[in-house]
Amino acid sequence: MNMRVIIWGLLIFALLLIVALPTVMLVAFGMLPGLVAMIIDRTEERSATFCVGGLNFCGVFPYLMDLWFGDHSLGQAIGQLTDVFALAVMYGGACMGWMLYLSLPPVIASFIQVMSERRLQQLRKTQRDILDEWGDEVITDADLGGDGLVLPQQDDQNVAAEAA
Amino acid sequence: MAEEPFDADEIEEPAPVRGGSVVLRERFLVNGGKPLPELDSPNAKAFMAEDRHDLSRNLFALVCTPGIPLRTPEIKKFKTTPGSGLLELVEWESVFWPIIGQRTMIVIYERPMGGRVMDRIKSGQARITEYDIPRKVIQPIVDGLRHVKTLNTAHRALRPDNLFFLDEDLQEIVLGDCVTAPEGFDQPLMYEPLERALASPAGRGVGSTTDDMYALGASLVVLTVGSNPIERMKGEDLLFRRTNLGSYAAVCGNARIPMSLLEPLRGLLSDSANERWGIDEISNWLNGLKQTPQQKKPARKGETPLRFGGRDHTNVRTLAHAFNRQIPEAVKTLKDETFHAWLKRSAGEGDLSDTLKGYVDTANFHKENHQGTDEYLVARCCAAMDPHGPIRFKGVSVYLDGFGPMLAMEIIRNGNIQVLTEIINREIYQFWISDRTSFLDSIEIGQQYAQMKAWLSSKEAGQGLERCLYELNAGLACQSPHIIEDGIIFIDDLLPALDRAANHADGHSKPVDRHVAAFIAARFNEDILPHLRALAAPKESTAVIGMLSLLAFLQWKLKGAPVYGLTSWVGGLLGPAINAYHSRTTRRELEKEIPRLVRRGSLPDMFDLIDNAEKRAEDQDGYADAVEEYSACSREITDIEGSGNELQEKAERTGQRTAATISIITTMIAVTIMFISEIL
Repeated sequence: MNMRVIIWGLLIFALLLIVALPTVMLVAFGMLPGLVAMIIDRTEERSATFCVGGLNFCGVFPYLMDLWFGDHSLGQAIGQLTDVFALAVMYGGACMGWMLYLSLPPVIASFIQVMSERRLQQLRKTQRDILDEWGDEVITDADLGGDGLVLPQQDDQNVAAEAA
Repeated sequence: MAEEPFDADEIEEPAPVRGGSVVLRERFLVNGGKPLPELDSPNAKAFMAEDRHDLSRNLFALVCTPGIPLRTPEIKKFKTTPGSGLLELVEWESVFWPIIGQRTMIVIYERPMGGRVMDRIKSGQARITEYDIPRKVIQPIVDGLRHVKTLNTAHRALRPDNLFFLDEDLQEIVLGDCVTAPEGFDQPLMYEPLERALASPAGRGVGSTTDDMYALGASLVVLTVGSNPIERMKGEDLLFRRTNLGSYAAVCGNARIPMSLLEPLRGLLSDSANERWGIDEISNWLNGLKQTPQQKKPARKGETPLRFGGRDHTNVRTLAHAFNRQIPEAVKTLKDETFHAWLKRSAGEGDLSDTLKGYVDTANFHKENHQGTDEYLVARCCAAMDPHGPIRFKGVSVYLDGFGPMLAMEIIRNGNIQVLTEIINREIYQFWISDRTSFLDSIEIGQQYAQMKAWLSSKEAGQGLERCLYELNAGLACQSPHIIEDGIIFIDDLLPALDRAANHADGHSKPVDRHVAAFIAARFNEDILPHLRALAAPKESTAVIGMLSLLAFLQWKLKGAPVYGLTSWVGGLLGPAINAYHSRTTRRELEKEIPRLVRRGSLPDMFDLIDNAEKRAEDQDGYADAVEEYSACSREITDIEGSGNELQEKAERTGQRTAATISIITTMIAVTIMFISEIL
């Protein structure tokens, strides 16, 4: 199965080399940061690959357009690859991808943490209200053992004696 | 009048012990300052009484001794159906009697203006000749006994010192009081038929007119002679003499009995209940009809005496009586062949000897259980040796129909209750009944005592020894410490008594204790089993609701007056019942409501408040929802908190996924714009 994929991949790559060598050359060199991200990203979701590769492609795409709608020659491709500005645009996109990938998760995590704390407070208040109204026996009957639960104040026991 | 009388029903607190008066039923004034010792009964003191509606009536009151079981069914009968030959019972009521500082039963009688017959004879003011006896003595007494018989009861207190001259002319004799003590309780041995005399005073049994007829015979002897011919002979000696010689010979002794009275006295003093003269025979005799003469029949005697317990016994009846007093020696005797030889040869009781040997063998076979005990063996043998005698067990002698008063007296005197309960629990009565099938309804008595055994075996409130006590003693006052001084005999008086008791009772104690529960169960003719079951529940809240429901049912059924004190007392005990509600809001509402109901004195209203079915259902549903919601919250909390750094990792993963998504979307938008702009 893998062998077949590799064979088909090599076949397509060879065909592309014959048909669109300048494009292949530009993509191969321009997308190097994305390739690196793909190699070092061992996660199942491949978030780093998509994040870096996506913005890297964003930087490469204007030059691909020049090739496709202009002079689609090997010289033009080499010219673009040797242009520092073009390289800065391509690799800068990848750099933006890395920055996005590294900076956004802590922000999101902090936000989620705050939301969770808020929800926990709400739930605990609800439980406290339940215990205030229905008593501690709720804990036993809920078969939870009362771990981590705040008990209500004992304020209303044996008032019947006062009534008499 | 020296002092202002008390209205018995308005007494709230026990008054200090002093002389005083009370008013019964707002009509009869009993003057505590004017005792009438000449009219005292053995268990009741006599005082002057007057009818406020008719001051010309001559009355006196008997103030009963608190604790002694009274004959309340007879009191009601005599009140509603007065008859000739008896002191008229005018009124009765349980009231507060200031002299003893507690409530007790007071019975008002028509006052016998001639006083006690024996007192008049002894003082020489009256003389009764043998010619006066039939018309002046026997006739009115027989009239009285006939009336008592029509009321389906017996007098059981017929003795010379309980006969009175109704008129000042000393012409009309009447029977005195018989309701202030259990049947036969006050009777000296001489006036009780032999078989009942062998039982303890409290256990002599209800008896019948036959027993009254014997008492009439014994009384006639004393009245005829003018004194008791065997006055000096007491207790065991008298019983021994009567058993050996027969009651006629023993009672008459060497006294000079007029010839004309020999026939009725032989008939009346017969030791065989079947042969004893009844009302018809004595009436026939009074009317001059000849009766078949009866020969005096002493008990069967052995040729040679058997020495036991310091006495020489010539018949098995006295021996049975002695065996019950000395059980170890009795067992030795029962296992001794000499005794059986005496039974066969001297006493002529060969069959009895075989029966007793059989019982000894049975006892040996049952060595492991109570049927093998010496006490059981002796009880069984005594029953066989004296077929007409009382149950004899561990020194106690009691008739089954006297079991109730005996039990009551033993409890009141803190006596030996254990033996009496053993008679029931170990079914000692069974073989006693089986030996007497010829003259007892053994099935009915067996069922009655099986029911008592069931009550005794139950530890629940409303059952047990207390239930037996009240079932067997219709005239016994409730012995609950809360109301014992109120002398409550009737169920209608119970709630007012508990209401009064609330003023001095410990607020933590329950008004319905074992005695009150058993008293209600015995005297209240409604199905209260569900209430008693709730009352006996181990869960405190259920027990409290059971108590409230029982009292509320009582107040509702008896249509009683408001009981403010009792409602307050019960209200103070409702904590567990209120706490049975889960909702704190409901609890607070209930507690707020109780004082209002206390002011109304209504136990049914209080019960409706506490045990409202709709409110209970709402509470249960609300509680179930609360438990479910609590569980859901707990599950969510557990999910959020997770374990360790899971939340952090989860947040990071979410951030990375978001970054990738932003990147891809940005790329797609940028590529699309660039592509379109290039084309255009």
